[in-house]
Amino acid sequence: MTTFAADLYLLVAAYGLALAVSYAGLPMLGQGAFVAVGAFGTTQLASHSVPLLIAVAVAVVAAAAAGYVVGFAASRLAGSSLALATWGLAWLVYSALLFFPRLSGGSQGLTRPVPATLTSPGLGVEIVLEPWVHAVVGGLLVVVLALVLIRADAGPWGLDWAALRTGPALADSLGVPVQRRRRAVLAAAAALGALGGAGTAVLQGVVAPIDYSPLLSLQLFVAVLVGGTATWWGPAVGIGIIAALPTTADSIATAAGIDPLRARAVLTAVLLVAALALRAPASRLAAPYLRRWLSRSRPVPVEAVPAGDEVPTPTGGPLLALRSVVVDYGAVRALDGVDLELRAGEVHALVGPNGSGKSTALRVAAGVIAPGGGTVRVGGATVSGTSAAPRVRAGVARTLQHTAMLGRLSVRRQVEVGARARDRAPYAGLRHLLAAPSAARDRRVRAAATAAALDVTGLSSRAADNPDVLDTAEQRLLQIARAVATGASAVLVDEPAAGMSARERDRLGGILRRLADGGRGVLLVEHDMNLVGRVADRVTVLAEGRVLSTGTPEAIRADPAVARAYLGVPAE
Amino acid sequence: MTGGQLLQAVLTGLSLGAIYGLVAIGFSLVWSLTRVLPFAHGDIVVGGALFAVLAIVGTTPVALAPGAGRSIALVVLTLGFGVVLSVASYAVAVRPFLDRAGRGEDVLGWVAGGMTAGLVIRTALGVALPAAAYAVPDPLHFDGFTSTGSLALPGGGTVQVRVFPVIAVGLLAAAAVDRFLLRAPLGRAMRSIADDPDAAVLCGVPVERTVVAAFAVAGLLAGVAALLAAPGGTIGVDYGAVLGLAGAAAALLGRLGSPRGAVVGGLVLGVVQQLVQVTPSLGAAWSELVPLAVLVVVVAARPGGLRAPRQVAVE
Repeated sequence: MTTFAADLYLLVAAYGLALAVSYAGLPMLGQGAFVAVGAFGTTQLASHSVPLLIAVAVAVVAAAAAGYVVGFAASRLAGSSLALATWGLAWLVYSALLFFPRLSGGSQGLTRPVPATLTSPGLGVEIVLEPWVHAVVGGLLVVVLALVLIRADAGPWGLDWAALRTGPALADSLGVPVQRRRRAVLAAAAALGALGGAGTAVLQGVVAPIDYSPLLSLQLFVAVLVGGTATWWGPAVGIGIIAALPTTADSIATAAGIDPLRARAVLTAVLLVAALALRAPASRLAAPYLRRWLSRSRPVPVEAVPAGDEVPTPTGGPLLALRSVVVDYGAVRALDGVDLELRAGEVHALVGPNGSGKSTALRVAAGVIAPGGGTVRVGGATVSGTSAAPRVRAGVARTLQHTAMLGRLSVRRQVEVGARARDRAPYAGLRHLLAAPSAARDRRVRAAATAAALDVTGLSSRAADNPDVLDTAEQRLLQIARAVATGASAVLVDEPAAGMSARERDRLGGILRRLADGGRGVLLVEHDMNLVGRVADRVTVLAEGRVLSTGTPEAIRADPAVARAYLGVPAE
Repeated sequence: MTGGQLLQAVLTGLSLGAIYGLVAIGFSLVWSLTRVLPFAHGDIVVGGALFAVLAIVGTTPVALAPGAGRSIALVVLTLGFGVVLSVASYAVAVRPFLDRAGRGEDVLGWVAGGMTAGLVIRTALGVALPAAAYAVPDPLHFDGFTSTGSLALPGGGTVQVRVFPVIAVGLLAAAAVDRFLLRAPLGRAMRSIADDPDAAVLCGVPVERTVVAAFAVAGLLAGVAALLAAPGGTIGVDYGAVLGLAGAAAALLGRLGSPRGAVVGGLVLGVVQQLVQVTPSLGAAWSELVPLAVLVVVVAARPGGLRAPRQVAVE
């Protein structure tokens, strides 16, 4: 019973790690460190006559705070750096425990009486924490965690997580607050790790450094990896395998005459290899059944989508305006005093030779690059910053130049990630978790926006499909649908026609035209001058970071300066 | 603290740092060609040392000076195991997780791969060498420069005489690699892949072969580090993980991808660690934490290394 309860507590820690690794896609290798904080923190505090429950709470909050601090640093890090930092942290905490016996009680560890008792003199209650009590507590925690994860993943947080694990740049471009989400996820992961550690410490009454070595971090990582991406059952299966490890290892050790700890390491290594080899096939095999069973993306009935969608009515001024914008990449001046305006109802094409600064101008407009000089105004207000997410909420959304799909999410879910930017009330994920009425309202708004975006891009028939089956043109359209779904009135599209056939380009042109006619402003960066000539109301030509010319497509075609920029100066 | 003790700490720190530097160069080289952090690199150092000892001396090594034949065999095998383990770790734990451009985009994959490779090396060694640490013979006979193996320093304090050849060999190896990367055609090919793998392919660089060669060079340096480090004190199967992380910290004190930065970072780290150790109010326990704390702090603050330019956001 004691072992079973301990495994349940380990599963609590694994669920925490799963949140970071398999849901948010953060390679966190130091969960054992937070488990140790919970275990040693609780034991130390309790030994200084702090009441047990308060000791547990303090240790958990301390670990959550530590996780938040890690998240604060990690929110900017690439995955590789995060892995290195958290693996370093696992060894740092373990070394501190090893070399500072005052902290950890040395190699013998710290002990406390078991079974622990909870007494409340005021109420005259005394609860003896027998192993079965722990098993019940651990079991309840696990069930609640699994249910919360399932529900959260189906709501706004699930959409954000899907974007996070695909890539921070994509998530940012869809209005997901990347850094805030990462910090929250790591803090929650750390807190759950500490909770598991505290439970184990109280249950077993002894905490020794060797049980909290980086091997624990590694085992938890393996356990989470086994189940593949974003599966609620994955950690349970993983911990089940890990739990079977010691007995198996011990029998192997006796049979082979080697150290049991070594045998455990061998089996962990074998598991790690197996998990790596199996992670994709396992989730591929299991996912269809489970998904159908749980119907994760239950379509919400769409109530009468307002015709022409619900773009904020333009106030007359430009939606987006760049004034004398300067951008330097090191010694290279990419933009040199560029003025650019996007009005509601127009398709404004931005053209120019390679390296003329088109994509840079688009990134400045989208908020990814802060200009070295000049101003950017959105709807009349000056904006700044180096993150696209706030800009999306202000009404400017863009597509990335390369097509990036959000994992294996269905087309409808992918567009819904964009529609997330319309949630106005804060803590949407939490309100969804608690089934608040406002969450249901947000959900209807998202569903309507998603349906409208799919409709305008002609992808409605593809809504339930897996992104793998889309062709290049449809993937490009999906990018536009995601940007449109954010509700932004200014949509910036970067080379959408790349890889499209002539017919597909016609279709794309029609879609862009319809977006503009519906009241949006479309800023189009494109090389295909035929397409530009057909759909653009205005064309701005960039060359070497400067605006060469602005006007109607006909005027631009007749401009000799433009011809020179494209074709070069004829030799004298 | 006397001046002699200070000198002792600095010299010991420099020899430790020279070893860190060699580990760091390998770490850095692998990262710059593949954008993969070799989590098993420290284990490859220990693996090089202990597999060679197992092959030549057996499962109960002692630190007696070996004869000429055994010395040569130990040197060759240590370097050889370093190369073989490094290339094998590439084939098994890195190659499957590279994208088409030859870069490690599947982070979860290669992290788990590196962890596995390290764990496999540790486990294989641990089965044959169950004790926590071993004293191993020195095939380079660095202690033979004085009769006691140590040297009295002016102003009190003594230092193992081997620190001088360790520093010298470490710096020479680092200089040789630096020169190789700058001058040799293969080294230039490596730098071209580090800069831009797609452009390297277009210029006719055989990428796959060059990357394997880079892992071999990293493994060779790991072997040199093993030859210098292992006989200095005792070495245990599990020392590799922390040594690898110390190498990572050293690489990050410079700029990730720069061999010179890695060496300077290693020397700084080694000296700081020894100075912490001889500071009465701190001592050995704190000194053990130095490389790990440096690693965590530097990665969080400047992921590309202290001397890396601030990154421009590019999607």
